[in-house]
Amino acid sequence: MSSLTESRSVTGRQGGRRMPRLFGEVGPALPAFLLIVFFFVAPVVALLLRSVLEPVPGLQNYETLLGSATYIGVFANTFIVSTVVTAAALAIGFPVAWALVVMPMTWSRIVFAILILSMWTNLLARTYAWMVLLQRTGLINKMLMAVGLTDEPLTLVNNLTGVTIGMTYIMLPFVILPLYGVISNIDKAVLRAAALCGANRWQALTRVLLPLAAPGMAAGGLMVFVMSLGYFVTPALLGGTSNMMLAELIAQLVQSLTDWGLGSAAAFVLLLSTLVLYGLMLKFFGTSRLGGQ
Amino acid sequence: MLLDFDRLGWWRWALGGFTAAVAAFLLLPIVFIAALSFGSSQWLIFPPPSWTTRWYSELFADQRWLDAALNSLKIGLVVTVLSVVIGLAASFALVRGRFRGRETLKALFLTPMILPVVVLAVALYAFFLRLGINGTMTGFVIAHLLVALPFSILALTTALEGFDKSIEDAAILCGASPFEAKMRVTLPGISAGLFSAAIFSFLTSWDEVVLAIFMASPTLQTLPVRIWSTLRQDLTPVVASVSTLLVLVTIVLMLLVALIRKGLSKP
Repeated sequence: MSSLTESRSVTGRQGGRRMPRLFGEVGPALPAFLLIVFFFVAPVVALLLRSVLEPVPGLQNYETLLGSATYIGVFANTFIVSTVVTAAALAIGFPVAWALVVMPMTWSRIVFAILILSMWTNLLARTYAWMVLLQRTGLINKMLMAVGLTDEPLTLVNNLTGVTIGMTYIMLPFVILPLYGVISNIDKAVLRAAALCGANRWQALTRVLLPLAAPGMAAGGLMVFVMSLGYFVTPALLGGTSNMMLAELIAQLVQSLTDWGLGSAAAFVLLLSTLVLYGLMLKFFGTSRLGGQ
Repeated sequence: MLLDFDRLGWWRWALGGFTAAVAAFLLLPIVFIAALSFGSSQWLIFPPPSWTTRWYSELFADQRWLDAALNSLKIGLVVTVLSVVIGLAASFALVRGRFRGRETLKALFLTPMILPVVVLAVALYAFFLRLGINGTMTGFVIAHLLVALPFSILALTTALEGFDKSIEDAAILCGASPFEAKMRVTLPGISAGLFSAAIFSFLTSWDEVVLAIFMASPTLQTLPVRIWSTLRQDLTPVVASVSTLLVLVTIVLMLLVALIRKGLSKP
């Protein structure tokens, strides 16, 4: 089969039987396709079905989820943390991405190495570090007290502050790397032209550079927001039991309470929000930015 | 002006200083953990009163940590092989195939990477409970393979797109069978992509936490699951020593990727 395909592509002849050719070309994707359909699509669809079938058919799981103050609180926590993390990551990430574009090579290489290292270091290792750094007797509190910013240790962990700090740390590379790509594609001549036309640095920044980088900021920001919505490990370890986020709620409903109906409904809410936001992203920015590692 | 380093004026110092601070912020937890793992304080006081290798001895004396690491290694290696083989076949179809829905198929293959992993974890957990493979090696391998495969497919489609197919065709014209041509011409040609695919697949499996928490049983745990359950109880310095070793593994693998890309991209 594959020899037919190959010899034809070498000699450039066209036509012949369509089915064998098609099989020769699609066939190699079959194992991956079966794996994804059987162990990804099917289980996810089955889970979603449980949300409307258990314990009895109907939408009562969604009613419970959207009608109780506890669950609304979880949605609110998730939304607020994701928004703050996205804003912080963009505010910190933009100057860094910009600096990476203009910096001398030697320096930018070092910063890139640190970014990649931090991104690929085990998530639990990084979260553990923040658990220790942020505790009441931790290094951050000691430093804050030493410089006189606070008189007594602040509660920085087991609450949403800790989650926000830890998640901003984790999300930074995901903003900086795509933004770097966008800014390095901006034509330097445009900014020189702004200077020639009499713009000062501040005007050049706010009226030329930022607007030109805006699509990258929007795409990177949306990606971080979506990732934050479904984050599990960091909120579970740095957050407290009283202010949960959505992913933890799903895990708890399913694992500890074995309430599959409600857990599946919560999972579906998360899945749907993610898909809608990715859909928006695809619509506005095309496929090229998606899946960029 | 703003994109010319020489013409930034004093802004360059502000920008440079800020970037240095962010780089330090990114590096802080990693360096901190390494220092902490040699500190003598049980309560993680920093700077520690004195230095010790006690936590490493405790770690290596505990069979449960060693078993967990061994499980992670086994699962990681099986996942790496499967991910590269299945990913390579799929990438050939995605790059060389001329069929309708190719883009959709690629998007489908990459979805497990972008969807919230907790949804996949819960869905697989339910499914595996039915199949009776929860808490088994097979369960772990399938779950990790699902999230490793997208990385492999990304690396291998990129590599194949950059490989000139006429070289493979030339080998066939010179009498090689199509299979032989692929094995002896194309695969060596994309070896950098194959290595990246393997290393990223391994790292993805090795570091996977969320899926692993749901797949684990009391008798079968991976290293991240063991760290997770330890952290839920207390912040023992032993975790600092495991974390430091994990950071070392990451650095070695990342250096390997950099070296391979450098060495093999030269013709």
